[in-house]
Amino acid sequence: MDLHNRLEEVFRQVFDNDELVLRDQMIAADIEGWDSVAHINLMFGIEQAFGIRFKGNELADMNNIGELKEFLASKVSSGVAPVRKVHP
Amino acid sequence: MTPSGIVSPQQPASSDTLEACGDAFRKQGRVEEAIHSYLKAATFPLSPKLCLKLARCYDQFKNHSEVCRWALSIVEAGDDLTAWLAGWALYQRHWETSTSPVVRSVKVAMLSSYTTTQFCPLLQLAAARLGIHIDLYESHYGQYQQDIIDPGSRLYAFGPDIVILAVHEGDLRLPEYSSTPEEDVRTEVGRWTALWKLVAERSRARVIQHNFALPCEVPAGHLATRLPGSRYMMTQAVNMRLGEAAGHAVSFVDCERLSALVGKRQWFDPRYWNLSKQAVALEALPLLARHTAAVIAADLGLSRKCLVLDLDNTLWGGVIAEEGLAGIKLGQGPDGEAFVAFQEYILKLKRKGVILTVCSKNNYADAIQPFEQHSEMRLKLQDIALFIANWESKPDNIRRIADTLQIGLDSLVFLDDNPVERDIVRKFLPEVDVLELPDDPAYYLRTLSQYLSLETASLTAEDSERADQYRARAQIKELEAAAGSLEDFYRSLRMQAIVAPFEDAQLPRIAQLIGKTNQFNLTTRRHGMPQLTAFIQSANCVHFGLRLRDRYADHGLVSVMIARCEGHLLDIDTWLMSCRVIGRTVEATMLECLCRQAARLGCTVLQGTYIPTQKNAMAADAYAKHGFELFDQPNGHQVWRYDLQTRGPISNTFVGTVDSWESVDGTS
Repeated sequence: MDLHNRLEEVFRQVFDNDELVLRDQMIAADIEGWDSVAHINLMFGIEQAFGIRFKGNELADMNNIGELKEFLASKVSSGVAPVRKVHP
Repeated sequence: MTPSGIVSPQQPASSDTLEACGDAFRKQGRVEEAIHSYLKAATFPLSPKLCLKLARCYDQFKNHSEVCRWALSIVEAGDDLTAWLAGWALYQRHWETSTSPVVRSVKVAMLSSYTTTQFCPLLQLAAARLGIHIDLYESHYGQYQQDIIDPGSRLYAFGPDIVILAVHEGDLRLPEYSSTPEEDVRTEVGRWTALWKLVAERSRARVIQHNFALPCEVPAGHLATRLPGSRYMMTQAVNMRLGEAAGHAVSFVDCERLSALVGKRQWFDPRYWNLSKQAVALEALPLLARHTAAVIAADLGLSRKCLVLDLDNTLWGGVIAEEGLAGIKLGQGPDGEAFVAFQEYILKLKRKGVILTVCSKNNYADAIQPFEQHSEMRLKLQDIALFIANWESKPDNIRRIADTLQIGLDSLVFLDDNPVERDIVRKFLPEVDVLELPDDPAYYLRTLSQYLSLETASLTAEDSERADQYRARAQIKELEAAAGSLEDFYRSLRMQAIVAPFEDAQLPRIAQLIGKTNQFNLTTRRHGMPQLTAFIQSANCVHFGLRLRDRYADHGLVSVMIARCEGHLLDIDTWLMSCRVIGRTVEATMLECLCRQAARLGCTVLQGTYIPTQKNAMAADAYAKHGFELFDQPNGHQVWRYDLQTRGPISNTFVGTVDSWESVDGTS
């Protein structure tokens, strides 16, 4: 699955909407239910799905789909080690 | 049959391939075929994502029950926050129209010192998995004190059954270093106990508090452990003192242990604290939710109480019938050590009151051989309440275990190394919890320790004797078959009872009985500690409990009755009996004692109400059987009356009542 589809899958889960389609120019206001709570869930969901870690201030700022994808592409291609879950 | 774009695999398809097939079908809108592939991929251990996909597919068909089943499966499948939240959203839309069983509905107030917006739905999902529907009130974070202190707050208007204090270490009012640590700790402990007291005074709610997880960062370093005045040491002192102060009245979720379990760096993530005041990292919230739900279930008396154990490769390595006493792995070598450790852990659960049973496909003579002759066996035959070794199916044998011990299938936990047996039991007895034992016996103990439905709310003397009582009950079943008439059987039991008014020390056990007895419970009124105290203090209330023993065991407190005197009427508010002594005429002894009380108070008519529920059909004829007459049937309730003047007092010759065991034992 490419980056776009993986990201779309996270959005569909977080917003409980199987029909949700992502477009690059979308911002938070374009997606129903993207409030501050959903934003936290979304950022966390992306971190888990892509095995990356946002910086503290990036967590607050990422609310444009195009930028988010560029950011993810740079993190994933720069070979940032995925965050692995420690076995309980 | 494969979706376009997926190459049909030559060898039997793996779970991953099947799941990918399902994904492709779903993308093409072929939902039925997607479900088919997903179900084939759904082998244990399940993944949260796959459970969620199945729930989503069934959502499209509006198959409410399957949506709920798979949404709830996410809870066991793994602590994946995103899947849990999505699962909750689905569950919420479907549960009212589904057939998924709700055992109990409770009003829970979440009071917190941090953001619980994510935690609340997770807790609701984890509780739903245990059959508990949570009606929720959530205070604004940091408002817990105001809510508790203000008698007119929305908290009290909500009328909670349970108040959860979800608080964190950062909220402790302790300095980094104190020159008067004793005093500071006392003040802080006093702040919390005062809040508990207010909740108890102003509501019927029980408090469940999260204790304080020690932080990762300790400025004083290792020195802190030698300084009683360091915040680090004071925090530990507060946890300890609060635990001591809690007694029976307050329950705790041990967040300090949970934070160590996942690792403190995983427990607290400064980024999410800074962004939205999450004092427990999102990653750790599902774990905290599962544990909090387990403590709620234990408080409601909904824990499971009986292990059903396989033998070969579960309690020892190898097959006893083939390898013989000397060949099985037990005590020697890495696996042998692992099985011994596992048995020792099981024995500790037995001492806590968990009943142990064996269900093995074996010849009986082979199966008991290690128990009788292997020197490394930690479990002995007398630890096993019921030992079944034969060649019948496990579901049949497990049903027999439930019948013989007279406990519900929903009290059982099945442990078997064989995945096929596990699947069969899951399929035919969905009420039974099946533990997913790992391949490596070294991890059996840990897997069992992480199973949460054996959590108990209190450890009464009865709890630790319970396991032996169930063994006695199984023996009685055999005796019953041997005895000629029922009367002979009753007499052969040599039953004796002590009937006495409630004492303060008994109240926790009485509250526990009232909270969890479903079957022989005439009115199912769930009185808590405050109401019980009120009954004791009221002058026109009659209350007594019955303790039973027989030739096999002391069964402890098994029946409770509360009645109100209203003129010539003595009206039974609550009457229940533990199902372990059903069918032994104890009911008549309870009524016999009530008749005595009636005579003392000058009441001439006994009145009893039967309120039918889904579970108490077995008590339906309790009044008719003893000569009561149906008097009225308001709103489906049955009101029964017994006229003492025309019918005379009820008595029971099969159970002798005594003042104390000592008085009997001393003379015999």
